[in-house]
Amino acid sequence: MRLHRGYAGRVTAAQPAGPYNGGMFFFTYLARELRRRLRQAIFIALGLAVGVGLVITVTAASAGVKNAQAGVLKGLYGVGTDVTVTGPAPSPPKTGSGGGGNRTSITMGPNGAQMCTNGKCHSLKNGYTIDNLASSSASPMSESTVAKVAALHGVAAAAGGLLLTDNRTTISQTPSQPTSFTVDGTDISHQKLGPLSNAVTTTGRTFRQADSDKNVALVDKNYATSNGLKVGGTITIAGVKFSIIGIVTQPGSNPPDVYIPLARAQALAKNGPAGASLKNDVNTIYVTAASAADISAVQTEIAKLLPTATITTPSSLANEVTGSVSSAAKLADDLGKWLSILVLIAAFAVAVLLTMAAVSRRVREFGTLKALGWRGRRIIVQVMGESLAVGLLGAAIGVGLGFAGVAIIDAIAPTLTATLIQATGMHIMTPNGAVSPTSSHTVSVPMSAAVSGAAIFAAVLLAVAGGLIAGIFGSWRIGRLRPADALAKVG
Amino acid sequence: MYELTGVGKTFTNGSRTIEAVRDVDLVIPDGSWIAVRGRTGHGKSTLLNLLGGLDRPTSGQVKLDGRDVGRMGDAELTLLRAAAIGFIFQTFNLVPTLSAAENVEAALVPLHTRFAERRRRVAAALDSVGLADRSGHLPSELSGGQQQRVAIARALVKEPRVLLADEPTGNLDEDTRDEIIDLIAKLWREHGLTLVLVSHDSAVVRHAERVGVMARGQLSFDSP
Repeated sequence: MRLHRGYAGRVTAAQPAGPYNGGMFFFTYLARELRRRLRQAIFIALGLAVGVGLVITVTAASAGVKNAQAGVLKGLYGVGTDVTVTGPAPSPPKTGSGGGGNRTSITMGPNGAQMCTNGKCHSLKNGYTIDNLASSSASPMSESTVAKVAALHGVAAAAGGLLLTDNRTTISQTPSQPTSFTVDGTDISHQKLGPLSNAVTTTGRTFRQADSDKNVALVDKNYATSNGLKVGGTITIAGVKFSIIGIVTQPGSNPPDVYIPLARAQALAKNGPAGASLKNDVNTIYVTAASAADISAVQTEIAKLLPTATITTPSSLANEVTGSVSSAAKLADDLGKWLSILVLIAAFAVAVLLTMAAVSRRVREFGTLKALGWRGRRIIVQVMGESLAVGLLGAAIGVGLGFAGVAIIDAIAPTLTATLIQATGMHIMTPNGAVSPTSSHTVSVPMSAAVSGAAIFAAVLLAVAGGLIAGIFGSWRIGRLRPADALAKVG
Repeated sequence: MYELTGVGKTFTNGSRTIEAVRDVDLVIPDGSWIAVRGRTGHGKSTLLNLLGGLDRPTSGQVKLDGRDVGRMGDAELTLLRAAAIGFIFQTFNLVPTLSAAENVEAALVPLHTRFAERRRRVAAALDSVGLADRSGHLPSELSGGQQQRVAIARALVKEPRVLLADEPTGNLDEDTRDEIIDLIAKLWREHGLTLVLVSHDSAVVRHAERVGVMARGQLSFDSP
């Protein structure tokens, strides 16, 4: 203890040894003051809590919507893929070209109806099945392009793939419905990229290196269930029987129905229903950037390398997703964010005004403490401590309110839908020229609001900041307080 | 020892200037008891504030042990009040949320007195004013006289050299007033305090060694 020698008198006598426990007085005083102003403290804390609760709820809802969106995107392109490159949409056929090199006609011969393709005829007496595997939504790119993309700066890995559709039509005297399913030609040496990356094998096994040239297939669980397919059975793709070695399931939505080795897909697929072979071609390149910060640069580099290709990043794809999931994201981002900010501002304002009012009512008390020799700083710390305690109380209640809000959202939130509009690759000739229609794929997206530790931490910081801001305003008043004035106001 | 030389204090209220204290010359020897009486608004409390370092004079000097209180920095003044000057107020000015003991203890907080010593001193101070059995009571649970006793204990717990009392019996009935004045007189004698007491009550000021009168800011003493 250091006291002014001239005035300390008997107080300067050496203090007996023992712990100085000024902190205990601080907490006693703080607790008593909060108890005295309990209703006001609770009112301020509740105001902050509503703000904090809203921030947590809105952040969780927003994160839930984003997770739902990510689920849609993962289903399309898999985990770990930062950039997806697809070949340009196929050009519409020129008028009068007849739709490619193959010429198909159905004629009546002496043995009944027959179908002829390029002069080769088949009797339709027992039905004739056309089964082709085609790339309909994107033009092929040379497989060597994958290596060029992999060599670009900022690219960690790249793998090629073929996203195909198997269309099967049986033409007979008793017509039946055509069927189709999606097939992914998977680069077995890069299974961590592409649609198969986030698949879980539920039965059987996944691909091995030795399978690269074999007629083996993995089947999506939903497709397998609805078509009675099992491990050990077969599935016909482009007229070729593939052994089913595994059943897989995807956490995302809209996964391919069947996965086959890329080399087999290249051997069997054609560019369009009657196009050229896709041997040594891919129509999709999956790219992982070295870091999230590199994605934009990688996108630019690929655009230079492949100017006609469509380059998709998660953010650009998200913009193409429409439906209620998109509306929910917009709602969470716009209304939710502004509502939270407004409530927080209101809560901060209420906290500041009530703290200022409390300080005004305690002018005599602070003046007395100054007369007792309390430094202004010590009084400010006391008031700040009270404000901080109210802020922490608000934070605690707010976190509870936030979790309650999240539970309510989870309970009442409708199932969201995501709609992705994609080119079909089809071209319809009209009197005004060729039209390339698009297809929209709508999937149900389960939404679960996700509370993150970071969001809770940020919300608690906000509440504490609210309390401290209120305390700072109160302290500013105390700092300007002259003890004589404070005591004179009493009189 | 206090030495006041040509002390003046003016307040400005808009275009109006009020001379609360005018040209006061005064010497207060250590251990003496001076009472100042006068009508309300004639500068008694302002003079007390100047002596206690709660306010600074507009003119003149207020010296305590040779040092000019008016020229001290805020930190030094705060330390002076914490260590050497005890205050007693008309309205007691106890912190309503703190118990009697905690109110007394509040005076030791700025001195960083160690916990055990603080407890010992608080108990002794409350005992000296006859409130040892009321240490855990809140001010609202005490009578006016008891509250003023707590305030006296708070003023004396730090063992000050100077006790400044501003209308200490102003809010008390006559019987309680006499008890409090007797207590102050007893403590003044026991502790060898320099006591400056301001009151408009002649029954209170007659206990002092010297009685001054404040009228329109000017202090005058009856002939000894």
